Amino acid sequence: MFWSFVLRAVEFRKRRLVLAFAALAVAATLATALFSVYSDIERKMRAQFREYGANMVIAPEGGSQTVPLEAVAAAERQGAAAAPFIYTVGRVDSEPVVVAGTDFRRAAPLTDYWRVDGARAASPGECLLGTAVAAHFRLHIGDRLALDGAPSVVRGIVSSGGAEDQQIIVPLETAAQLAGLHDAVSLVQVRADGAKLPAVAAALSNALPGVDVRVLHAVAETEANVVLKLRSTLFLLTALILAITTLCVTNNFSALVLERSQEIGVLKAIGAAERKIAALFLSESLILGLVSTAAGYGFGLLVAWWIGRQIFPEASAAGVGVNFGVFLPVTGVTLVVATAATLAAAARIWRIKPAVILRGE
Amino acid sequence: MFFRFVSQSIRRSPRRKAMTVAAVAMGAAVATAMLGVMLDIGDRVNRELRSLGANLMVTPKARSLPVEIGGVDYRPVSNADFIPESQVTKIKSTFWQLNITGFAPSLHAAASLGGRNVPVEGVWFKRQYRGADGAVQEAGLRTVNGAWKIDGRWIDDRERDDADFEAMVGGAVARRLSLKPGDTLTLFGQPFQVAGIISTGGDEEDRIYVRLEVLQKLVNRPGQVDAIQVGALTKPEDEFARKNPARMTPKEYDRWYCTPYISSIAHQIEEALPMAVAKPIWRVADSEGKVLAKIRGLMLLISLAALASAGLTVWSVMATTVLERRSEIAIMQATGAGNGLVAALFSAEVALEGAAGGLLGSWVGLLMAGWVGQSVFQTALEIPAILGPVVVGAAIIASVAGAAQPLWRALRLEPAVTLRGGE
Repeated sequence: MFWSFVLRAVEFRKRRLVLAFAALAVAATLATALFSVYSDIERKMRAQFREYGANMVIAPEGGSQTVPLEAVAAAERQGAAAAPFIYTVGRVDSEPVVVAGTDFRRAAPLTDYWRVDGARAASPGECLLGTAVAAHFRLHIGDRLALDGAPSVVRGIVSSGGAEDQQIIVPLETAAQLAGLHDAVSLVQVRADGAKLPAVAAALSNALPGVDVRVLHAVAETEANVVLKLRSTLFLLTALILAITTLCVTNNFSALVLERSQEIGVLKAIGAAERKIAALFLSESLILGLVSTAAGYGFGLLVAWWIGRQIFPEASAAGVGVNFGVFLPVTGVTLVVATAATLAAAARIWRIKPAVILRGE
Repeated sequence: MFFRFVSQSIRRSPRRKAMTVAAVAMGAAVATAMLGVMLDIGDRVNRELRSLGANLMVTPKARSLPVEIGGVDYRPVSNADFIPESQVTKIKSTFWQLNITGFAPSLHAAASLGGRNVPVEGVWFKRQYRGADGAVQEAGLRTVNGAWKIDGRWIDDRERDDADFEAMVGGAVARRLSLKPGDTLTLFGQPFQVAGIISTGGDEEDRIYVRLEVLQKLVNRPGQVDAIQVGALTKPEDEFARKNPARMTPKEYDRWYCTPYISSIAHQIEEALPMAVAKPIWRVADSEGKVLAKIRGLMLLISLAALASAGLTVWSVMATTVLERRSEIAIMQATGAGNGLVAALFSAEVALEGAAGGLLGSWVGLLMAGWVGQSVFQTALEIPAILGPVVVGAAIIASVAGAAQPLWRALRLEPAVTLRGGE
């Protein structure tokens, strides 16, 4: 009897309820989408900052001019990306040029910002040229140059706006031979996860006595700053919008009860208990709340997924920013609000005098 | 009569009208807050990203190839390429001068210290100079690298002074020579007092910085500068920016020239300083652009989602108010009001409510956007003044659009049917 009453009420006021449903579902959609984006934004933005290259360098300390090569392995054990570099002066046509040697496979994630014409890596007997070097010696991709007597084929031209523009970049072994170094390098560049940076730096300092582990403050702090600010902006906006839509939902549920004063009057006149009437409204609100939240949740995830796909296409392999965990909070908040709003409005049920209402006042 | 009807309708049921207006206001507030934050966040983040340091490097057009490792030049004889110091401030007379947040000229030399060659740079720290428009402006290392950590203090070089022998020492050099602020070190046979120790983690840690004119005098290169670092606010590179300016049509070239891409700012600096080359430091410029583009895109999409839902909310509220008043419409029709008159009455009322809600909402939304800006970025956001009126207009349109369909439906129904209580 009770449920048939509820169902009939829903059926009879279809259009009105569809509108209430739409408003609620929109609120739930927005909440789900914003929370999904917010909960994932830090990971994604930090991934973006990886393109800044290294955020730490391991440099020689004191009188030493070199860093032991094992620093690379030590950094990799900490879960960081690390690449060794050797800098020395070589000669091309008896003219001095800076020669940089690196492990191209390891350096690749740290040198995303290089603008390269041709190949990004060179094997022994090959090299990359900085733009200034290429222009100075009038060399092009595929040309040969004699670096300290050893022939080398140009595989790519690098433009970075930094020191690389004036360097010949060769494989690490070639530069080590040229510089006469064994198991030692000039510098190790390290890119550690931004959030764990201080811990990794401390661990490396402990593991490698006699070297200088430096955190690149500008990179590390800008990253932390921007990620943090973006996160708090999103959080504040999400909270504000949630507060506003919640108010809107409250409004909607109160209206659902208030509109039906006449019906309440009739029900009371034929002898229904107030508690029973309140329960009737409450179950109607809860059903509406549950259905619209479920719909809004599904749609919100879709929106979050779409935003993730549009903005961070490269991150889609590692999940597209859909956070299924937001279902409980969103549903919880919606249902609590629906209950509270209905109950607040239901207080009127007790005050309604059937005779007054039915007379039309 | 018409106006009395509308005003009566509003006065009769203030409670219900207040609820409608409040709902519209909420939609408008969401829209205003999102848009307000979205429109300015790019600029804010761009400024934050400037703490990465210079994104443009200006060097003399060199005849020989620089051979530098860690700031020490390995060329046999020093070459004579330079930028005249007197020309340096021309950087601030280019088209995008307001986007250039700082620049710092420097002269490079190396001093023997503790048995090793240490690079010494003569720089402006925070020099005041009179710009082209006569206003006093500031330039120097601190305007480009304001976020550097200093133990001690910055050298104060607002005025020229070539007898002020103070130095700022990079952290690695200081550790090697165990120097503290206040200590003395000797460079080129001249004792210098250490003002501060710089720790950045970068190349700067291996250098020593002194006043530009002091170094010019010591190495006998008066009026000369080797490089200028420039920090500029730029627009992220897009497809268009990667085109070769030399192959653009005149129209495209104008558009490129008048957009603050890093390449067009570099181009304009080269126009102002013909003896120099300006090159983007891609490590900073490229990644900066990518981060910025992501943030802008993200905020735009979120705003779109919020706008769509705000519009839907307003639309559904207005549809509800008309639905509730079907019997009223029927009575008007029964007493002889034409469809046009009824429609006009309701539209006027709905538009009025939309306007009231829009006004209230955009006011609240602006407050909220301001609050977000204040609490996250510590400065007020710059929100275009047009935003308020646009949101009010949108609220009115959404309200009328929401009311239109149920109104149309109600008008077509026979009054008798509605009044009997049926569909």
